[in-house]
Amino acid sequence: MSRSLKKGPYVQPKLLKKIEAMNRTGKKQVIKTWSRASTVFPQMVGHTIAVHDGRRHVPIYIAENMVGHKLGEFAPTRFFRGHVRSEKKSSTR
Amino acid sequence: MDSDTQKSVGYFAIGRIVGAHGIRGEVKVMVMTDYPERFRPGAKAYLGTELACTPTEIETARPHKGVLLVKLSTVPDRNLAETLQGQYLLIRADQAMPLAEHEYYAHDLIGLAVETDTGEALGTLTEILYTGANDVYVVEGPKGEILLPALRSVIIDVNLAARKMTVIVPEGLLGPEED
Repeated sequence: MSRSLKKGPYVQPKLLKKIEAMNRTGKKQVIKTWSRASTVFPQMVGHTIAVHDGRRHVPIYIAENMVGHKLGEFAPTRFFRGHVRSEKKSSTR
Repeated sequence: MDSDTQKSVGYFAIGRIVGAHGIRGEVKVMVMTDYPERFRPGAKAYLGTELACTPTEIETARPHKGVLLVKLSTVPDRNLAETLQGQYLLIRADQAMPLAEHEYYAHDLIGLAVETDTGEALGTLTEILYTGANDVYVVEGPKGEILLPALRSVIIDVNLAARKMTVIVPEGLLGPEED
């Protein structure tokens, strides 16, 4: 069953409070959180949030097209580790 | 084994065979390339490992439950397909796609020495995490494991010739854990 619309999307109040405080002051700092269930709010765009993957905090830069998704979607808990050289690239954005 | 395959040109994996599918010789392939056109019908590839591989051709490829079902010209039946589990589909390194600015092959980045813009050594890049958002570089060094987001504001220089990466550690990344 999906979450009641009356409540609105879930976000950990403490996390949103920190983001809004940074937006007020114009400061940018990585915030560590364990709250994988928190929804990405528009206020978070442009900030880097380090989301816990069960072992460590994975720093995720919040872009506009991530709004509405949950933070946990961007910090996978399992990773495939290959041993061969593959045609897989990495880019900075 | 084809003698052509023993040249030292090097190969890049484009997929790993994880099993057989059906009775007509299709194999399940976990894709390891960012270029899906590598699996178009008629595309040339090599089958095996980096050290020993034979030429083959993609006949068909279709997605299925997170993998590709690929029919190879050199695999006529299931019996042979079953023996291929764990092997790779490869291309020659000189056939690799050219990269745009700020793009690097993952294997080129692994092993780079990472230091801050002030010259402080952070360690060696050991792993790249693909998160669905930005990539994340795992650096292991004297300060333990550091995860750096692959952002241009953080990764300010990558010098593959000197095997060195210069970064600015964002504020709060190495700070105490709090919630």
